[in-house]
Amino acid sequence: MNLPREIHSFLRIFLVFVFLLVPSVFVLAEGVSPHHGGQLVLATTSDPKSFNAITAKETSTTLVTSYMFEGLTRVNGVTMQVEPHLAESWEVSEDGLTWTFHLRDDVQWFDGQPLTADDVVFTFQDLIFNDQIPNSARDIFTIDGKIFNVGKVDDHTVKFILPFKFAPFLWGMTQEILPRHVLKAAVEKGEFNFTWGIDTPPGKIIGTGPYRLVRYNPGERLVFERNPHYWKKSSEGDQLPYIEKIVYLIIQNVDVGLLKFLDGEVDSVSLRGIDYPLVKPREQEGNFTIYETGPDFGTNFITFNQNSGKNPKTEESFVSPYKLAWFTNVHFRQAVAYAIDKKKIIEIVMNGLGTPQSSSMSPSSGFFYNPDVHDYEYDLDKAREILKREGFVDHNQDGILEDLEGHPLEFNLYTNSGATDRVQMAGIIRHDLQAIGMKVNFLPIEFNNLVKKLTADFDWDAIIIGLTGGVEPHFGKNVWSSDGGLHMWFPNQAAPATEWEKRIDEIFSQGVQELDPVRRKGLYDEFQVIVSEQLPVIYTVLGNTVYAVRNKFGNLHPTSYGGIFHNLEEIYIKENYK
Amino acid sequence: MTKVEKPLSQFQIALQGFRRNRMAMACFWILVFFYLGAIFADFLSPYSFEMEDRDYSYCPPTKIHIFDEHGKFVWPYVFAMNLTFDDFHRRVYHEDSEKKYPLKFLMKAEKYRFLGVIPSQHHLWGVDSPGRIYLLGGDSRGRDLFSRILHGARISLSIGLIGVIISFSLGLIIGGIAGFYGGKIDEILMRVCEMIMMVPGFYLLLALRAAVPDNFNSVQVYFSIILILSFIGWAGLARIIRGMCLSLRTRDYVLAAKAMGLSDFQIIIKHILPHTLSYSIIAIMLSIPGYILGESGLSLLGLGIVDPYASWGNMLSEAMSIVHIRFAPWILWPGFLILVTVMCFNIIGDALRDCLDPKWKGAKE
Repeated sequence: MNLPREIHSFLRIFLVFVFLLVPSVFVLAEGVSPHHGGQLVLATTSDPKSFNAITAKETSTTLVTSYMFEGLTRVNGVTMQVEPHLAESWEVSEDGLTWTFHLRDDVQWFDGQPLTADDVVFTFQDLIFNDQIPNSARDIFTIDGKIFNVGKVDDHTVKFILPFKFAPFLWGMTQEILPRHVLKAAVEKGEFNFTWGIDTPPGKIIGTGPYRLVRYNPGERLVFERNPHYWKKSSEGDQLPYIEKIVYLIIQNVDVGLLKFLDGEVDSVSLRGIDYPLVKPREQEGNFTIYETGPDFGTNFITFNQNSGKNPKTEESFVSPYKLAWFTNVHFRQAVAYAIDKKKIIEIVMNGLGTPQSSSMSPSSGFFYNPDVHDYEYDLDKAREILKREGFVDHNQDGILEDLEGHPLEFNLYTNSGATDRVQMAGIIRHDLQAIGMKVNFLPIEFNNLVKKLTADFDWDAIIIGLTGGVEPHFGKNVWSSDGGLHMWFPNQAAPATEWEKRIDEIFSQGVQELDPVRRKGLYDEFQVIVSEQLPVIYTVLGNTVYAVRNKFGNLHPTSYGGIFHNLEEIYIKENYK
Repeated sequence: MTKVEKPLSQFQIALQGFRRNRMAMACFWILVFFYLGAIFADFLSPYSFEMEDRDYSYCPPTKIHIFDEHGKFVWPYVFAMNLTFDDFHRRVYHEDSEKKYPLKFLMKAEKYRFLGVIPSQHHLWGVDSPGRIYLLGGDSRGRDLFSRILHGARISLSIGLIGVIISFSLGLIIGGIAGFYGGKIDEILMRVCEMIMMVPGFYLLLALRAAVPDNFNSVQVYFSIILILSFIGWAGLARIIRGMCLSLRTRDYVLAAKAMGLSDFQIIIKHILPHTLSYSIIAIMLSIPGYILGESGLSLLGLGIVDPYASWGNMLSEAMSIVHIRFAPWILWPGFLILVTVMCFNIIGDALRDCLDPKWKGAKE
C-alpha cells in the first residue's frame, strides 16, 4: 500500500490506540467462528410441575419439555413461518384434506432408537386422542367433534386424513412427538398421566431435542446437557447444538433474577419497563446488550360480564338484570373505552416502554394484524357525553350517575392481586371511571379465585385480565367463538347471543377452512374490526419486550415472538468472552 | 399548722415514674403527634388521598424556594414541574420557572368533611393549581405522599386501637371466667385458646382473610381486618388473665364478696379483673404494634386496604421493587413511620412495665 507517510503513521498510532484501549473490538472480530462448549445460565421463577409434554399445562413445564421434545414442524422465530423440522417435507392433496409427511431418517431418541412413523401415530392416536389423558392439544385437533385419522405409510412416512380443511394445520404439527417404545407400556396400563412426573430420574426422560435434562434440584436448579447425537447440522456441517450446558436457576421472584443478571450470574433476563432505567445505563460497563424487539403478545384488557344465564342452583341471575342492561349496551362499553388513559398507563406502569393496543391481534403478530380498527382516544368529555345520551344522569348530585330506572352506576372490578402492573392499571382506570360518574369498587383477588369466577361462578361485573396472544388467529378460537370456554364475557353459549358474535363465529369457522392466505386475512381483518367496534373486551396497552443479554453469544437473533434463544441450537459462545 | 402531705395514690406514683422516663415521654409525644395528624388529616394535608396528577408520577419532593432568582429573601413559593424521560427511560423533572406559585395558608381547595361531619374546603396550607406542593414527593400515579400518609395513618393507627379494645375485652372476660370457675369450663376455654395459639399468626391471618367474601367494599374490609386481628390476639391474654384469676379467686376479699352474695359476674368485673389491670395495660401497649404490623402485612400483599384508600401498608407495597426504591427512595416513608410507631409503642410499654409492676421494680432496684 502506498499511503502518504503521515497518514500511514497516523493509522498505526490509531491502531495501537484501539488495541490498548478497546480490546473488545478485536475480541469481537476474532470470535466469529462458531465452536462447541460453554454454558448458558438463565433464571426462572417457578419449578416445573412435571416433565410430561402432553399433559403439560403451565409454562414452567413447557419451558423444560421444549428443550427435549420436537414436532414435525416448527415456527421460525424470526419469520414466524412454519418450517420443516422432524419432517423434512410434506405434500397436501388438492382438496386440502390429506397431508403426507416424510420424516427425517437421521433422528435418534436419546437412548439411540430411531424416530419412526410409529412414534408419530402413537403420539396422536394413543396420547392426544386418548380420552383418558387430559391435554390441551386435543381441543386444537378436534373440529366439530371430529378427529384426524393418522396412519403409517412406511417407517418414515405418515399420512393425516382430516375431516375437513384446516388452514393452520402445519402450525398444529409443531406438536411434540413422544417415543412409543418408552411410553407404550405406561399407556396400556393406564398410567401415562403419572408418567414422567418431577420425581422421574432425568435420564429416563427420552426425547429427540437438542438438550436433555441431567439434573433437577427442586427449588434450586435445572441442568441440561447437549445431545451429542442431535440430528441437526449447521450450514457449515458442524454438529449442533454448540452450547454444552444450560443451567436454569430457580429464583423466588423477578427482582432476584434482575439482581443476579446485574451481578453476572445469569446470562440473560427479560426486562419489565420499570427495570429499564436501572439496567440500561450499565450496558457498557456490564458488557451486555439490551434488545428491544417491539410490542409483546400478552394483552391486558377490561371486560364486562354479559352473561344472561342463571345460576342453576340458586336460580339467581349471574348479573343483576339492570347491570346486564348496562354491560350489554355497546355505548356503555365505548364510554369506558374513551376513559382509558393509555398514554399515562404506558408512562406509569411501563415506564414509557409500551404500545397502546386497539386491535385484538398484537402488532408483532405480522401478517394477520389489522391496524385499521376503531380507535378510542382518551377523552373523558366524550365518555360523559355518550353516557348522558344513553340516559345516565346524576339526579341526586352525589357524583354517581343513575340509569333510567334510578339504579346508581356502581359495579365491582376484579383483578388478580399478585400482578402489580395490572393492579396499578386498574387503579388508573378506576380513577377515570369515577371521574365520569361510575362508582367502581376495586377488588384485587387471588388469581385462582379470579379464574374460578371467570370459568365457573360467573358472578362478576368487570374484570381486568390478560391473555397470551399468538400469530395464528385460529388458536384464539376458545376466546372468540361464542361456545368457547374462554369467551369470558358470556362463555359456553348454546347459540350466539348477538349478531356480531354470530358473525365472529362464522368468521372463525370459515377462516379455519380457507386455504388462500389473502382471503383468510380478509376474514380475520373483519373480525378485528368487529371486536374494536363492539368492545367485548376493551384493550389497554401492550408492554414492549425488552431483553438484556450478556455479549457472549454468536448467532443471536432476538424477536418478540421467539424471544432470545429461539434458535438455541445455532447459538454459540464467543471464544474470547471474559 | 403543719401541712399534712396527702399520700400519693399508686396510680400517681406510677405516673411520676413514667414522667421521669424521658425516652418514654418523647415516644408518647410522638404518638400524640401522629394521632393528631391522623384525626385532622383532611385539614393538615394539602390534597385528598385520591387526588392524582399523572404528570407528577414519582415526582421528587417539591423544592420550596425562599430566595428568588436574584437571591432576595421572599415569601416561600414553588414552581410547577415538567416530566420528561431521558435516554435511559428515567424520569427527569425540570422546574418550570415561568410561573411562581406562592405558598398559601388556610387556602380553599378540595372539599371534605372536617372530622367526617362538618363540610369544609379549607386546608391548612397548599399552593394554587396547577402548581403542586408534594412535601414528601409523589407516588407512582402522582399522588401526594404526604397527604396519603396522613390519611393512611387513620387506618394504620386506628386498627391497633380498635383491635386491641376488642381482643382485650374478649381476653379479659374469657380469661376471667375460665380462672374464676375453673374445672370443665376452664378446660374447654383453655383448649380453645391453645388451638388458636397453635397456628402461626400470619398464616391464620391469611386463612381468615381468604374466608372474607370478595365483594366486600373497603369499609367492610377494614372492619373485617380488625375483627380477624382481634380474633387472633385474644387467646394469649386470656391464658395469662386466667392464671392470675386462679390465684385471685381464693383471696379473702373475693371470699368476702361471695359471702355477701354478689353475683359471679359482678365479682369477676369488680373484684378480680381490676387487679389484673396493671398487667393488662402493659400487655395492651406491647400488643398494639402487632396489629399495626398485621394490617401492614396484609395490605402489603394486596389483601388488606386496597387502592384508592391509603394505609401505610398498601403504600409501602410500591416499594417492593428495587427499581422504585432506587429511583424514588421517598416511597419508603410509610415504612419508616411504621417503624417509628411500633418502636414508640414498645418503648412506652416497657416504661409502663417499669413503673406499674411493683415486682419488676423491686427486682431492678
